[in-house]
Amino acid sequence: MKQNQFVQLNEKRWQQFEALSVNSAGEEDMPAEFTVLYRQVCNDLATARTRHYSPALIAKLNEFVSTGQSILYQGEGIKIGSLLRLFKQNFFRSLFENRYYLWLSVGAFYGLALLAYFWVRFDPDAVYYFLDVESIKDIEKMYDPAGSVQTKERSSGSTVLMFGVYIYNNIGIAFQMFGGGALFGVGAILPLLFNSFYFGAISAHIVNIGYESTFFSFVVTHGSFELTAIAIAGAAGAKIGFSLLMPKQYSRAYALKTAGSSVLPLIVGAFIMLLIAAVIEAFWSPLDIPNVFKYSAGAVCWFYVLLMFYRGTRYGHN
Amino acid sequence: MMQYQGLDNKFFIKLPEGVSINLVPAGIVVRSCAYLYDFFIRVIVFGLVAAILSFLGDAGQGLILIAYFIITWGYYIAFEAKSGTTPGKKRFNLKVVQDNGLPATLSNIIIRNLLRPADAFPFGYCLGIATMSFNKSYKRIGDWSAGTLVIYQENNVGTLLNSENTSQEEPPKIELAIDEQQAVIEFSERCKKLSPARQEELANILSEALNVKDESATNKLKSMANFYLGQKI
Repeated sequence: MKQNQFVQLNEKRWQQFEALSVNSAGEEDMPAEFTVLYRQVCNDLATARTRHYSPALIAKLNEFVSTGQSILYQGEGIKIGSLLRLFKQNFFRSLFENRYYLWLSVGAFYGLALLAYFWVRFDPDAVYYFLDVESIKDIEKMYDPAGSVQTKERSSGSTVLMFGVYIYNNIGIAFQMFGGGALFGVGAILPLLFNSFYFGAISAHIVNIGYESTFFSFVVTHGSFELTAIAIAGAAGAKIGFSLLMPKQYSRAYALKTAGSSVLPLIVGAFIMLLIAAVIEAFWSPLDIPNVFKYSAGAVCWFYVLLMFYRGTRYGHN
Repeated sequence: MMQYQGLDNKFFIKLPEGVSINLVPAGIVVRSCAYLYDFFIRVIVFGLVAAILSFLGDAGQGLILIAYFIITWGYYIAFEAKSGTTPGKKRFNLKVVQDNGLPATLSNIIIRNLLRPADAFPFGYCLGIATMSFNKSYKRIGDWSAGTLVIYQENNVGTLLNSENTSQEEPPKIELAIDEQQAVIEFSERCKKLSPARQEELANILSEALNVKDESATNKLKSMANFYLGQKI
């Protein structure tokens, strides 16, 4: 069959398909004849190729097929629901899958923080090795029990301001660690260790100068979600980087791809945990209430987070 | 999986429907242009949002930070998850798809965009550009990890019926191989986009074999193409 005959025979069907694909793009339901027409167009493309019809005709049919499949297999778009589902269905499985990375990362994070804590606790001047005087003064001022900035009655405006800072800063750090992890893990591990050391040194310094009650009552509740989420994001980034260093029996490209889809629920989970932490940090932690409430809330949160972390990494479900 | 490509950098990808389609991966320059286009949109949107929110005092400052966070990290994820393109990519006819040609899923999109810090290392997407220039499909690190490709979205290529010169058709005096026949057909299809001078210049390459020159060579080739297409059956 000559090309023009083929075109005349099928042209009407192609026009119908084109019209349908314009109408049903982005729709949830598509007319039943769409799939039938799509399969026929696939068939036409195969026929046109084997008969060596002209490149323009093949290109046109190729375009039909690729629009058709992009409509048939369209993504779900971005919805809060689909993010939550990704978290609910896969977060714990992913905790289990990557448990060694997570144990190492959480262990290194809290271990180094403790190390820094004891170092500065026994050698108070050591804090000046890591931090400059200006930022230490700022931190001292923040947690000064007499007129503490953190627990002073805040205006609603400054609460929103701090909420914005926590979102921008903490989640930004987690995402940077995840992305930077692809650089052979360096971009994830360095910030992880740096943050843990910094946190340990500061807490020790605050205890040394005797401001611990304002400091710990402030950080205890949101710290559970925030610190663990940072450690999880670090583990996720490190796994991506290590998949390039040690691809095992796979090609590097395949190892990187598998690592990416394996740790995706972790970063989504870390994102959600940091959102929770930001809400607590902005709206609960600075409340001017007796410390006993804050410590009890903190104990509940720590227990919950650690329990979920243990169950996830140990059994793969909550 | 791969078929004869000729000069074109085309990927042939087999579909479950039993046919393969070809995808043309987009190169560094066009993707950089799309990036810059998106970048300016983001700058303008953020500028507008920040200008409005700056009247709200401390709360406004907090909202500006949140807006900045959403625009830096969420812009690409939201647009690409919705339709596979961003305004910048759409402007240059680009689209993100999975390696197998299917539309990218939300997971693919999140991974490829969260890995931007690695591609942007140490500045100006240096590492991403280096990675892209070392593989045929121009994937940056994020694309490798997510299993995605950025391809050209071809819109409305050519018209189907070669309606011009229906009267002229002439069986060529020489037998041509299939590749050569296709080249002649492709020439006549491309003629619509070429100036007459360029058409003649191309046709003159065959002037010795055809025994004619300039405009008549073009016409001869077109009528040969019509014959191969089977204008009259």
